[in-house]
Parts: sequence; structure tokens; C-alpha cells
Amino acid sequence: MMLEIDRLTAGYGRVRVLHEVSLSVDEGEIVALVGPNGAGKSTLLRAVTAMIPDRSGSVRVAGRELIGVAVEDVAAAGVAHVPEGRRLFPGLTVRDNLRLGGWVPRNADLGPVLEIFPRLADRLNQVAGSMSGGEQQMCAIARALMGRPRLLLIDELSLGLAPLVVDEILARLGGIAESGTGVLLVEQDAGAALEVADRGYVLELGRIGLSGTAAELAADPRMRSAYLGGDPPQAPVS
Amino acid sequence: MSQFLQATVYGLLQGGLFALIAVGFSLVWGVMNVINLAHGSFVLVGAYLAFELNRRIGLDPFAAMVPVAAALFAAGYLVQRGLINLVVKAPIFITLLLTFGLNLLLVNGLILIYSGDYRSVTTGYAADGFALMSGVRVPVGRLLAAVVALLLTLALVAVMRRTRTGLAILATGMDRGAARLMGIRARHVYALTFGLAAAMAGAAGAAVSAVGTFNPADAGRFTLFSFVAAVLGGLGNMYGALIGGMVLGLVEAWGGQLLPGTLVNAVAFAVLVAVLAVRPEGIAGRAFYSSRVEV
Ligand SMILES: Nc1ncnc2c1ncn2[C@@H]1O[C@H](COP(=O)(O)OP(=O)(O)O)[C@@H](O)[C@H]1O
Ligand SMILES: [Mg+2]
Repeated sequence: MMLEIDRLTAGYGRVRVLHEVSLSVDEGEIVALVGPNGAGKSTLLRAVTAMIPDRSGSVRVAGRELIGVAVEDVAAAGVAHVPEGRRLFPGLTVRDNLRLGGWVPRNADLGPVLEIFPRLADRLNQVAGSMSGGEQQMCAIARALMGRPRLLLIDELSLGLAPLVVDEILARLGGIAESGTGVLLVEQDAGAALEVADRGYVLELGRIGLSGTAAELAADPRMRSAYLGGDPPQAPVS
Repeated sequence: MSQFLQATVYGLLQGGLFALIAVGFSLVWGVMNVINLAHGSFVLVGAYLAFELNRRIGLDPFAAMVPVAAALFAAGYLVQRGLINLVVKAPIFITLLLTFGLNLLLVNGLILIYSGDYRSVTTGYAADGFALMSGVRVPVGRLLAAVVALLLTLALVAVMRRTRTGLAILATGMDRGAARLMGIRARHVYALTFGLAAAMAGAAGAAVSAVGTFNPADAGRFTLFSFVAAVLGGLGNMYGALIGGMVLGLVEAWGGQLLPGTLVNAVAFAVLVAVLAVRPEGIAGRAFYSSRVEV
């Protein structure tokens, strides 16, 4: 397993948001984590990368325990996190943002990530904050990939982006996973996420509700009524 | 007229020194959101170190810039690491209080050791000069100080732009959390930043010791001028601080022609208020309250 979360409990100060959450992501696997606003999806990613200190349980990445490891050391453990709101360095150029992504492995070779997101190649000297939302998201994912992660965490890839752009970016995840990187994709847009994911989990009020393969979840009636906004394909005639 | 030109020349040369002092102050403010009220006392510590090096081993004050800057870099690094990092995320009031205390400590320490008497370091050449035109004289020491100051300021900008460390400092200043996710050690970066600023202040202090007299009470004036120059130039904008420093040098020199000595500080403040009223984003076009660093 690339990522193994076992009974992770986390929150902010005295407020507990996650209650004994367990999930896993395999090598080369895309796993979707969906659920309503406020369920704790972002909190889970933040707990994995030590962005919040109040956490207990176990988070293992490629066998290495991350509870007790500081944020600065998470990148060296092979984890890249595209945080909520992307958090690009807005006043720096795309090139500098990418260079910063490769900080730990001292990776300055932009070639591979530009191959994945060719649109960025024309934008290298542009200030990151001045690009469109979709380009910024591409830059954020490319920046994360510059660290050559074994595990890629993406928070709300689709937020604020046009559906066509979302599809364009989602389509790249398969290629990223093919190289062995495990991807944990947090999405409110469950439909889009399940289309590219191998498996998925549904987080509700800080607990895992449903889980299964993407196909199973997409067909599950509870899932359909709550998150996919529609009737199952073979709805019984009443 | 020649009196005005003479004041202008002095102002520009003095402005170069102010720029060197202000650029570090602005950097610290922009990257860490810390207004370092002890910045001016670092200049004085640098001046007294140069004074000591000259007295004990006869070192030239401009040559002393190198060891003085190194010493202040180390001291600045440790102060940030051991002290200011502890409260850097606290409200700005706390860091103001801390650096205010540090300033008192340093200034009074200097008074204890050196008394409040005015000191200076004399060299064989600093007082020499040449005439730019009739009635306008350029002293060699001040010219040298201004040129070195400008070169150091430009070197800092180059470090910020071109080096891995500079990039880490800028990134941490823009988004500390995201920088840490990249694996950048924010505490170390902060300490480097503070050390760099202290080193620039110390180097400026060594130059100050060569071009005129100084006493511990000058610390407040240097801090005040750094503050005004940083705001004038746009917070964290290093070219802005450079321009701000030059403007203040001119204001001080012109004001000194017309007003009694201490009123010059009031003029500096008046310039600040005027600029904030007209261009709140600073001369160089960056809001003083937006905590972004640009070079
Ligand atoms: N910085 C914070 N401090 C305190 N509570 C927070 C913070 N961030 C999020 N929360 C709370 O944690 C819960 C989960 O939030 P979040 O993880 O952002 O949910 P999601 O990403 O699933 O929308 C919410 O109730 C939210 O109010
Ligand atoms: Mg969220």
C-alpha cells in the first residue's frame, strides 16, 4: 500500500473533525474521497501532511509512519499535497513555482510536467497569480509533481473551474497514476471524480460511510440520491 | 543655488546609506510581517564594531564591512532562531514589543560600554574630496559609502532573484504553509532573512562610522528612516526601499538647509503621511499592508 490510514482522528484544537477514519491508496491507484461540504475531506488531507498538528492514529506512506513527522519533512517522505485553494506562490512566475515544487529532490527538469500539461510551457515566465483558474490548477498539480511524489493528494480539483477544463485535468490523472504514483482525489463533484477513480470513499460528518470500487459507488442508490443527483440508470417503473 | 546643489549631492550620497539600511528592514517586514524596531540599533552595533576593529587592529572601516556583516549575520540568525521565531505568528503587537525591548537592550548596552559621546572613525582619505562644479564638493568617504551601499543593495536583490535560497525566502514570505509543504524549512528561512537584514544593517553601520559621527541614540533615527523608506517604497519591495531611502536622504539634506536639526525627522514623517494620502500603495506601486515580497 502506498497510503494506509488507520483510525485517524484529527481536528482543530478541541474540535474533533475526523473520527477514526481508515482508508488506503495502492501504488498506481486513483482513489476518490467524496462527501458533502464540511465533512472533513480537506481536514483529512491536512492531517496526512501534518498541516494540522492535532491528530492521532496511524498514517503510513510506503510503510513509513507520518504521525509525528513535521510538515517540512512530508515532501521528503514522498507526499505532495495540492491544498485547498491551490496555494500557488502568486507573485512568482510559473517557472519559479515549479522549481519550488522540486525543492526537496532538487529537481529542475521541467520537461516531464510540461509534457503532462503542455499549456504551462507557454506560461513559464508569467506570474502565477495572473493565470486563469484552470491554468493555476494545472500549475499547482505540476508543482506537486516536480517533487516526484509517490503519493499525490489533490483537494477540490474542480472548484471554480469550467467543466471542460476539469475534464482536461482529470484526464491527466490516469497517466500520472500509471507511473506508480498513488492519487487521492478529494472532490465535491462525486460524478466527475468517480469517472476517473479506481475506488472511492464517501466521508460524512468525519466518518467513512460508503466505500467500494468506483463502479459500485456510481451504481449505489444511496450514492446516487445523495451525491450524483439522479435516479439509477435502471430505475424500476413504479 | 550651489548650496542647494551641494545639499542635493549630500542627500543622494546619504540616501544610498539609508537605502542599504532600509532594504533589510523592508525584507524582514515583507517576509515575516515583523516590524523590527531594533533594526537601527543593528546599524549602531555595526558602527561600534568597526570603531573597535579600527582602534584595536587599525582596520579600515570599509574593509571592516566584511567581518562586521558576518558577525551581524550570525547574531541576527540566532536572534531570529532563538527569540523572534517563538512569537513570529503572534499578533504584530507582540513582535513590536519584543523588538522594542531588544532595541532598548542594545542601545543601553552601547551607552554602558561607550557612553553617549559621539565617536567617529578617521581615515586618511574619507575627508578628501573633489569639486563637481564650483561650490559643490563630493567627499570621497561619502561617495565610497554610497557606492558600496548601492552595490550591496543590488547584490541582495540578485540573491533574492537568482539563488535557491532567495527563492525560498520569497516563497516563504508569500505563503509560509505552502512553502513548508514544498519541504522548505520556514524557521531556517526566517533566520536567514533576519540574518541578511542584520548583515546589511551592520555593513551600513561600518560605512556610517567612516563618514561622520555617531552615538547610540542614532538608533532610533535609523529605525524611523527605515520604516518610512519601507512604506514609501511599498512593503517588501526592495527596489522600492532603495528609492525610498534615496528620497529620504534628499528630504533630510534639503530640510537641513531650511530647518533646525531635529525638525528633519518631522519632515520625514510628513513625507510619509503625504505619500500615504496620495499613493497608499507606495511609490513603487505595492501596497504597504500587503505582505508580499517582490524584487
Ligand atoms: N482551520 C479550521 N479551524 C477550525 N475548524 C475548521 C477549520 N477548517 C475546517 N474546520 C471545520 O472542520 C470541519 C471540516 O472541514 P473541511 O475539512 O474543510 O471539510 P470539507 O473539506 O469536507 O468541506 C468543518 O466543520 C469546518 O468548520
Ligand atoms: Mg474542503
